[in-house]
Amino acid sequence: MIPDIALPNLFVAQPGQLVLPVVLPLLAAFLMQPLARVSTALARGLGPLVLILSAWITAQLWIQLGDAPFTLAIGGFAPPLGILFYADGIALLFALAVPVFALLFWPGSGSGGDAVAGSGPDSNQADRDQAARRDALVLLLVAATTGLALSGDLFNLYVFYELAAVASFGLVALSGTGRAQVATFRYLMISAFGSVLALVGIAILYMQTGTLNLGQIAQLAPETLNNPIGSAAFALMLIGFGVKAELFPVNTWVPEVYAGAPARVSALLAGLVSKLAVLVIVRLLVLIFPQPEAAQMLLVLGVLGVLTGEFAAWRAKDFPRMLAFSSIGQLGIVFVAFSIGGEIGLLAGLAVALHHLIVKSALFGLAVRWNGSLEALSGAARTSPLGAALFVLFALSLVGVPPLPGFWAKLTVLIGLAERGTPLDMTALMVILLVTAVEASYLFRVAIRLYQDNPDPVAPHARRDLGVAALLGAVLVAATLGLRPVADVLGAGAAQLGDRAGYIETVFPSHVAGKDRP
Amino acid sequence: MRNLASLLFAGGLAFLLLTLLSQLAFGTPPMRVGAEILAVAPGEVGAANLVTAILLGYRGFDTLGELAILFAAATAAGVVLGRRRDDARRDPPGGEVLRTGADLLFPLLVVVGFYVIAHGHLTPGGGFQGGVILAAAFFVALLAQPARHLSHGLILWIEGLAGAAFILIGIWALVADGDFLAPLLGPGRMGDLVSAGTLPLLSLAIGLKVGAELAGIMAHIADAEAPDT
Repeated sequence: MIPDIALPNLFVAQPGQLVLPVVLPLLAAFLMQPLARVSTALARGLGPLVLILSAWITAQLWIQLGDAPFTLAIGGFAPPLGILFYADGIALLFALAVPVFALLFWPGSGSGGDAVAGSGPDSNQADRDQAARRDALVLLLVAATTGLALSGDLFNLYVFYELAAVASFGLVALSGTGRAQVATFRYLMISAFGSVLALVGIAILYMQTGTLNLGQIAQLAPETLNNPIGSAAFALMLIGFGVKAELFPVNTWVPEVYAGAPARVSALLAGLVSKLAVLVIVRLLVLIFPQPEAAQMLLVLGVLGVLTGEFAAWRAKDFPRMLAFSSIGQLGIVFVAFSIGGEIGLLAGLAVALHHLIVKSALFGLAVRWNGSLEALSGAARTSPLGAALFVLFALSLVGVPPLPGFWAKLTVLIGLAERGTPLDMTALMVILLVTAVEASYLFRVAIRLYQDNPDPVAPHARRDLGVAALLGAVLVAATLGLRPVADVLGAGAAQLGDRAGYIETVFPSHVAGKDRP
Repeated sequence: MRNLASLLFAGGLAFLLLTLLSQLAFGTPPMRVGAEILAVAPGEVGAANLVTAILLGYRGFDTLGELAILFAAATAAGVVLGRRRDDARRDPPGGEVLRTGADLLFPLLVVVGFYVIAHGHLTPGGGFQGGVILAAAFFVALLAQPARHLSHGLILWIEGLAGAAFILIGIWALVADGDFLAPLLGPGRMGDLVSAGTLPLLSLAIGLKVGAELAGIMAHIADAEAPDT
């Protein structure tokens, strides 16, 4: 089986290349530190360059191959023997969002004002080393989250989840303060605990089905996992993967970590990483655990997350903590939405998740400068009028004021809940309405403070952070104007995401597992 | 409040695990994928050690992920461990006996490490295990003589190039065969040192990377300042 060397393969879009957005950031991360010893400029440019390349490859593949879901077997081993990537619209959307957001919140360049060694001109070898480590960790996080979006193999998902976890420990500890390191340690303990539970859950699935391929598990699930063992395995994996997804009750690390980490890292963790963990949970829910107990678990934990998060945000005294608690609340709504199931539930969940991705990332971008207590923000509108205006825009959308997309997202959740209409659903509906008032109260309190008179307001934002926030604000406004097409695209994505039979058919086109080997 | 929540959580978890214990039927797991790999792996990958065939062949992508996790941990440790003041004290050397013993042990450990790496596709062992033995050679040297200096730059280069080699072998397969990390070069004759295609090369890359990484962490810890007492 000596392969004939045919070079042009790389220049024609084919499924095999979908692995590149995962392995190229890994390659760059491995080489980052030695390269930084040779040339600082090279090492600095490498990260953004690789991210642009990854985004370009994903976009190309999406344009040329992406109408119907497709798979690629890594190593050429036909499923279920090898590891499989599964690319439907939502997977590709997130695979594209990962490098784009990492680029927007790239912690390397610009006078971000973070207390990160290496921002600004690097003075000596130790600072340069630290900057290279930071860039390598971000690239590892990018590779891991892209893998989470694409992988169709249970254990492979776990590997990428672990990689995302370990890379984020390093990034959170970057600011070097004692507070950040204590927060990191707590995060590490909770994360390790969650990982063990998730691994036990995966082991149970493997014991029951004898395979790790999600498509094959989905095939076998109705007869092997529709029982108390299956529900217990789901609970374990829900808690495990829920750590990154800020699920109640394993989200106690969130406020301290987001307040202690560099703000751009918080933007990536709260915006991007949490969404990919949610996507993993949704895939499990759709493919493997269609039983009502699983959805109920998600609904109850989601409601608890909404309540605890939003009330804690209401009481928070500083800006990053307020954003962190609000993030817990918003992700609670995402879980409630996904627990509804069906096309409307998936659509609502996706809408809230993507809305939160844009809005919360942008708000954390503003927190690069507004990183102190809320009181210190009074009068900030004078030095940073655009920043304050953007905050108001994002706050309005987060609360759900029409016609902004946040309104439509929340409304879809409420409609979904009302349509199903069990007592539990109606409770969730009331809770969401209640916390909307709470959200409005604390966000507008901040908005009012921003426009107060204060002779000595905080320093203005760096141009880059403001630019990123303005860009995301523009996306939000564009989505408001083009709500119909956005809803259509998301609806199509939700239909694909919820299509369990389609997933199995795509993975095993001949219906005979593993028998179509060349 | 927080204690009550923790108690509830712990109780729920205990209930969950007890349910599992009472329900799970141990001892008869279905061998769906396992049986099929057992049947086809010798012809497809050609490694006498089936564990390696799975780790580097069928699940080679997971192994790349594991490598990245170890690398992330080493990098994060580098972030946290901080830097050394130039005038900081070092731990005292271990004495004549330990130093001579360490010097004698060093070449032996290196040879054993490379042996385990090179035979990963034939006998139990492989890149991870061999890499740890290689790192141990440097651990022993550093522990016996803390003032000895390991070159961070060299370690970084070995680590970076070994990791890059793993990925480039994968990309080579992507270009030549259309699939990342597909087995190349043919399976060869089972049991030969040169067999199983690119698997020994992947083993070598893993071994060097793991060895360099662990040695790097050790060098960082050794660089930390000794307590003042």
